[in-house]
Amino acid sequence: MEKNDFKVVNKRALKMDSLGLACGEPVFTDDVDINGMLYGRILWSPYAHARITKIDTKEAEKVPGVKAVLTYKNVPRVPHTTAGQGYPEPSPYDTYILDNKVRFVGDRVAAVAAETPEAADAALKLIKTEYAILPAVFDTFEAMKDGAPVIHDEKDAKNIPDAGHNIAAKFEFEVKNGEWFKDADFVIEHSYKMPYLQHCAIEPHIVITSFDPFGRLVIRTSTQVPFHVRRIVAQALKLPVKKIRVIKPRIGGGFGSKQEVLLEDIAAALSLKTGKPVKIEYTRRETFISSRTRHPSTVRLKTGFKKDGTITDAEMDIVLNTGAYGSHALTVMMCSGSHTIPFYKVKNNIKFLGRSVYTNLPVAGAYRGYGATQGFFAWESQMDIMAAKIGMDPVEFRKMNYIRLGEGSPVFKAMGEGREGVEQVITSIGLYEGIEKGLKAINWHAKKEKNKGGKGMLRRGLGMACMMQGSGIPEVDMASATIKMNEDGSFNLMVGAADLGTGSDTILAQIAAEVLGVKAEDFIVYSSDTDLTPFDVGAYASSTTFISGNAVKKTAEKVREMIIAVAAKILDRKKEDLRLEGGKVIAGDGAACGLSEVANTSLYYYDQHQIIASASHYAHTSPPPFAANFAEVEVDTGTGKIKILDYVSCVDCGTAINPELAEGQNDGAVLNGIGHTLSEELEFSSNGTPLNASFRRYKIFNTLDMPPIKTFLIPTFEPNGPFGAKSVSEIGINGPLPAVANAVYDAVGVRLFDSPFTPEKVLAAIKKAGKK
Amino acid sequence: MKKENMRLEAVNGVFGISLTVNGVKRNFAVKNNEFLLNALRRYGYKGAKKGCDTGDCGSCTVIFNGKPALACLIPAFTAHGAEITTIEGVGTVQNPHPLQESFVEAGAVQCGFCIPGMILSSKHLLDVNPSPSEDDIKKYLDGNLCRCTGYVKQIQAVKMAAKKMKKA
Amino acid sequence: MNNIKYCSFPVTPKAALAELLSRGNEALAVAGGTLAAKTLSETTVNFVDLKNLPLNYIKMRGPDLVIGAMATFDDIDNSKLVGSWAGGVISTAAARCSSQLIRNMATIGGNIARPHSFNIFPAVLLGLDAKVKILCKTGVKTRAFADIYLADFKFRPGRDCLILEVIIPGKTGNWTCRFEKFAKTEASWEAYLTLFMAAEIDGGSVKEIRVTVGALSPKPFRARGAEKALGGAKLSAGVIGAAVLELERDLDVVRASEFKKEASASLFRRFLEVL
Repeated sequence: MEKNDFKVVNKRALKMDSLGLACGEPVFTDDVDINGMLYGRILWSPYAHARITKIDTKEAEKVPGVKAVLTYKNVPRVPHTTAGQGYPEPSPYDTYILDNKVRFVGDRVAAVAAETPEAADAALKLIKTEYAILPAVFDTFEAMKDGAPVIHDEKDAKNIPDAGHNIAAKFEFEVKNGEWFKDADFVIEHSYKMPYLQHCAIEPHIVITSFDPFGRLVIRTSTQVPFHVRRIVAQALKLPVKKIRVIKPRIGGGFGSKQEVLLEDIAAALSLKTGKPVKIEYTRRETFISSRTRHPSTVRLKTGFKKDGTITDAEMDIVLNTGAYGSHALTVMMCSGSHTIPFYKVKNNIKFLGRSVYTNLPVAGAYRGYGATQGFFAWESQMDIMAAKIGMDPVEFRKMNYIRLGEGSPVFKAMGEGREGVEQVITSIGLYEGIEKGLKAINWHAKKEKNKGGKGMLRRGLGMACMMQGSGIPEVDMASATIKMNEDGSFNLMVGAADLGTGSDTILAQIAAEVLGVKAEDFIVYSSDTDLTPFDVGAYASSTTFISGNAVKKTAEKVREMIIAVAAKILDRKKEDLRLEGGKVIAGDGAACGLSEVANTSLYYYDQHQIIASASHYAHTSPPPFAANFAEVEVDTGTGKIKILDYVSCVDCGTAINPELAEGQNDGAVLNGIGHTLSEELEFSSNGTPLNASFRRYKIFNTLDMPPIKTFLIPTFEPNGPFGAKSVSEIGINGPLPAVANAVYDAVGVRLFDSPFTPEKVLAAIKKAGKK
Repeated sequence: MKKENMRLEAVNGVFGISLTVNGVKRNFAVKNNEFLLNALRRYGYKGAKKGCDTGDCGSCTVIFNGKPALACLIPAFTAHGAEITTIEGVGTVQNPHPLQESFVEAGAVQCGFCIPGMILSSKHLLDVNPSPSEDDIKKYLDGNLCRCTGYVKQIQAVKMAAKKMKKA
Repeated sequence: MNNIKYCSFPVTPKAALAELLSRGNEALAVAGGTLAAKTLSETTVNFVDLKNLPLNYIKMRGPDLVIGAMATFDDIDNSKLVGSWAGGVISTAAARCSSQLIRNMATIGGNIARPHSFNIFPAVLLGLDAKVKILCKTGVKTRAFADIYLADFKFRPGRDCLILEVIIPGKTGNWTCRFEKFAKTEASWEAYLTLFMAAEIDGGSVKEIRVTVGALSPKPFRARGAEKALGGAKLSAGVIGAAVLELERDLDVVRASEFKKEASASLFRRFLEVL
């Protein structure tokens, strides 16, 4: 199909749920009133590392209105992972619903269900606990040393490569072509650090568990991964999967924090104990501390390069802090290499060494970017440092070295996400156009000229960064869809895919509509209900458009065949002669019948059957989206404040199924990345207590903080994607850190290796470099 | 300005209050430790959201005695005699307000959790300043946090609505 | 809040004070409530809601600018009268408070009722030699803002006395002023530091100078060393340099970090250089 012929995809289509949301329709998890619902509350550990030597709930149980108190003594002990990943999950099985040990300030100790929130809180206060406090460790390098406190010393944890040294995941990979750095004219080595960061989805985590009239457990939850929730809750509570139904209503953002089984297990346990519906909603504070975060990281990057711009050797060593449990420990770590190292051609030697390390701090998990954010901060900063060393323009240096159409990398096969990857070559790339577009849009060359020899306390600079991500996990992620037809030529589209506000319901309808020659509004989309929608891994790894989209396309193609078969009888034409267009089936000679005639025929008149089909899809490749980001900054050398004057993000996501939604996704990702760059970091006291776990103190950007942001979509056509589409949702967040770091260097000649770039750090760096 | 000193007394920790919500007189029974956000949601106004409960995110915004305010910071019993507009009072799916239409058309609604608050703040802005500049819009919405959109299309939506409303 | 039994909505200050002083149990008067509402103690039984008091005026009284205690940050930000005073510095300060939603609710009275490092107005009012009118059981009193906020004041606003209005003396109306709130983000409630700087220049010499520093300590303070270095002096590069050094010494007293001293110095220097 010629891409210029698109009728529905790559065109404007209003997001289906927008109007309801804009009118405040009650569609979120908490927007229902359930009779007899109990309020669940969790008792959190005040200590970073301790054994529970005594826990007595007798007084708590006596509080009027309290219906259940759970501790490690009365819940099943099944080691599992909370990571919402395909089975068998590539994460350690090191988590228990409740344990007799606590491993970070904010770890679970006990849970209560009561008729009122006040009764639940009163009960929490009456739970008597005694702890044997253990030495705690908060630094990943300290945690790996001999003799460091062992955080997971339990015998029944599984899949931990080296618990004795607190290593939750490790991976090594090397391509060797001769002696290291032999061909290099220069070798440089730097370390780049990122702190604890939190997603700050505006809706905190929340779940309501209840029973249907058949005694089945129904979990209504704000999740990105309904099917993984069902399986992992079944595993942790030793229930059969068929006894559980998971429903995802509208959710208020996730960004990876809801790719996790965080509350569903404990709420379900309380429901099982009481026989009643139970709601647990995290406070904002609990969301900061006891949900998930980004993995803090230290990336040591050592690169060899020649005067002519060839990169000869690259050694990437990343240590991630996975916190007290190993959710996503292996996969984020591997993505930090698999999404970054193939991006540039390295002539001789490549080495990747990754370790995810346990510490007694909040648990890291999936967060938009997923390791690539940490990786590209290092790589894209280092590219500028290398270019400067050989006196090459940083744009030209990148253009010379990035991967081209048809090229592959040994890294693709060696490193996937949690296991070996898949060999692939680049089948679509619009990076050159993205770079050129961005340079023009930000007025790069003119501004660089203007900034030369900048004087005064306010200095301006420009920086860029290029990056790629993935589109789903090849040969792992699977999606499926079902489409059935109604009398009036409308269709029901059932997909497991999770719309977290991304608009996936809408774009999947657009894909189906394109195949069936109708409008997106002709689809009634129902998603993310484990009883009624077919399987989908869920919304992560930027997989929905690419994988769920292809599943929907395949399903629609099957339905098209069924429609054509019926229409062939109605019109008395050959099937090969018929096409679907404008809500009709049309023959070569112009004879036509409407879709509703086809539907009525199939339902009522002749050879009655329901036109319905299902199909699944998993991919053999993960075609990367590409992006080029450009930042213009002004550094106040008197106060250290960095102001972003302009930011341009050019994204190649193949065909944008819905350009507006794709732009909106990227805008949001970029501002989130800018927040990481200038403001965000979770701070802890010396005994592991979070210090700024609130929106009051952990500042995400508001309308006054936002710089001008412009997203440009660079059209390409990805042959493996539905109508040429790739993914778009994550990549934007990886640009700001390196682009701004490079712009700051351009402005004041100072290199920042440690985010966020607070005024204090900037002033200190300027002073140290003697650049006043 | 009111002329009479009013006084309420709680019985068993519960205050009975009268207030007007979206033009309709309502009687609420509210606990002494309850905030307006909770009370409104209990009485069916689910559009106001609990994003942080500390007044920092704006997802609980309601119009309170004529100005956008944070319902999570208002003790429910102090709303006695107040006039409140929630998102449900701005427009419905059957009959939306131009702002709601604009947010939809501009692609400014992603997860939708911050949107009721955004729209209420924007509505008040356009009521007092029908031709706001971009800086006016940014300042007026600075208490409504969004993590999905980067605010880009939301600001466009308010501009679009301003145009629509002037034409009307 | 679990012990609140009474809520009153008085329409006169006298009635409000009577509520506070009557009943013999813990009473608290609350204005906007943006900070107070979530930190109410369990001992509060009598909640006095001040929203119906006719105290949200902003007007001139003789040469002075008078702002009623119930004027909100938004009222102050939008007031043309306040905007025309001392280069609009009071409006600027109001606009720098948190967010529009908070500004719609929070009042100037509430902002000075209980000291907190991050209250916005105190540094400004200290620098403008403001006065505060209160109502207590012995009647209406007018005191210097510094006496009410910085020193140990014998009455506690909101508990046994009521703030009625803030008075900005007429002499400040033409001062050249600047308010800087240096913080991580625009909506940050916590600031790295706030600086209020005011000067009256007469024939090239500094006739009046005020430099107050906020956010570094629970209460703002006057940077006396910096003020002394400038009082009566003729502005020159040398004088400015000396004054900036004095400011840094003033900040040493509260053990400000190198970073905050340097940033303050830069902001102060910039103010002086445009005088």
